[in-house]
Amino acid sequence: MIRIKCPICGLRNETEFTYGADATVKRPEMGEQEQQPWVDYVFNRDNPRGWHKEYWHHVQGCRQWVVLERNTLTHEIGECKLAREVEQ
Amino acid sequence: MLELCSPLNSKLQAGRFGAQGETGIALGGRPVRDLWQIAGWGDFEAAAIEVLSDLGLCGLGSYSLASRAKGRTAWRIAPDKILIENAGNLSDYMSANLATLDLSHARTVILLSGTQARDVLSQLIAIDVTETAFPEGRFLQTGIHHVGVLIQCMGQNAFEIYAPVTWAETVWEVICENAKPFGVEIVAD
Ligand SMILES: [Zn+2]
Repeated sequence: MIRIKCPICGLRNETEFTYGADATVKRPEMGEQEQQPWVDYVFNRDNPRGWHKEYWHHVQGCRQWVVLERNTLTHEIGECKLAREVEQ
Repeated sequence: MLELCSPLNSKLQAGRFGAQGETGIALGGRPVRDLWQIAGWGDFEAAAIEVLSDLGLCGLGSYSLASRAKGRTAWRIAPDKILIENAGNLSDYMSANLATLDLSHARTVILLSGTQARDVLSQLIAIDVTETAFPEGRFLQTGIHHVGVLIQCMGQNAFEIYAPVTWAETVWEVICENAKPFGVEIVAD
């Protein structure tokens, strides 16, 4: 059972959340002319073994987006911050 | 004029259900009264404090404790979002920094009480609802049967469950089914 400590609601069952996206992806500068950075941004993702940062949505709770550290190997949960408070 | 009718009308029929003997659970309902949401962006806090203080409520409140004053209740449900019941009409506060929204027709309240009320809740949600962890005055937002609800603790064995009207019947049925083994009294007024 994965439990996530929402900064607003406290420790909650993972079933209250939905996974959103990879939180490590950075959008290229809007003036980027090369195609490859945009292809990478839209389609290509790393598939790391170990610690990873992900967007999750506390949909059955405060409805805030959070950035969650999750270990893809052990399912350990690390820090959980409001996405609005995480610098891009 | 159209008459507003509770989404729980067909459920709110007084009677005794489930296990015989003492009733551990009482179930009822009531409409919400002038339930408004205020939400905003960068300058939300200043704009919200103005509304709240006009209503006699002080401060933005906490994410787990409802603030109460003058028959009004406010819940800080997110950093930039507050729900207020008995708020009157807040439409005049609408501004570039503050969006006001009347949710009175969008929510209804299920009343859950009785000596076994916490047992029923603990069957429905994976959150500690013992009296120490969830005492009177506290609230939590969670899902019952995957429907988003706000649960307000009203006392040792009493809770108000704010459910979306479109799913209120479903939430009611799930609560009622879980309550039957304890004996249920449906209270209709
Ligand atoms: Zn939350």
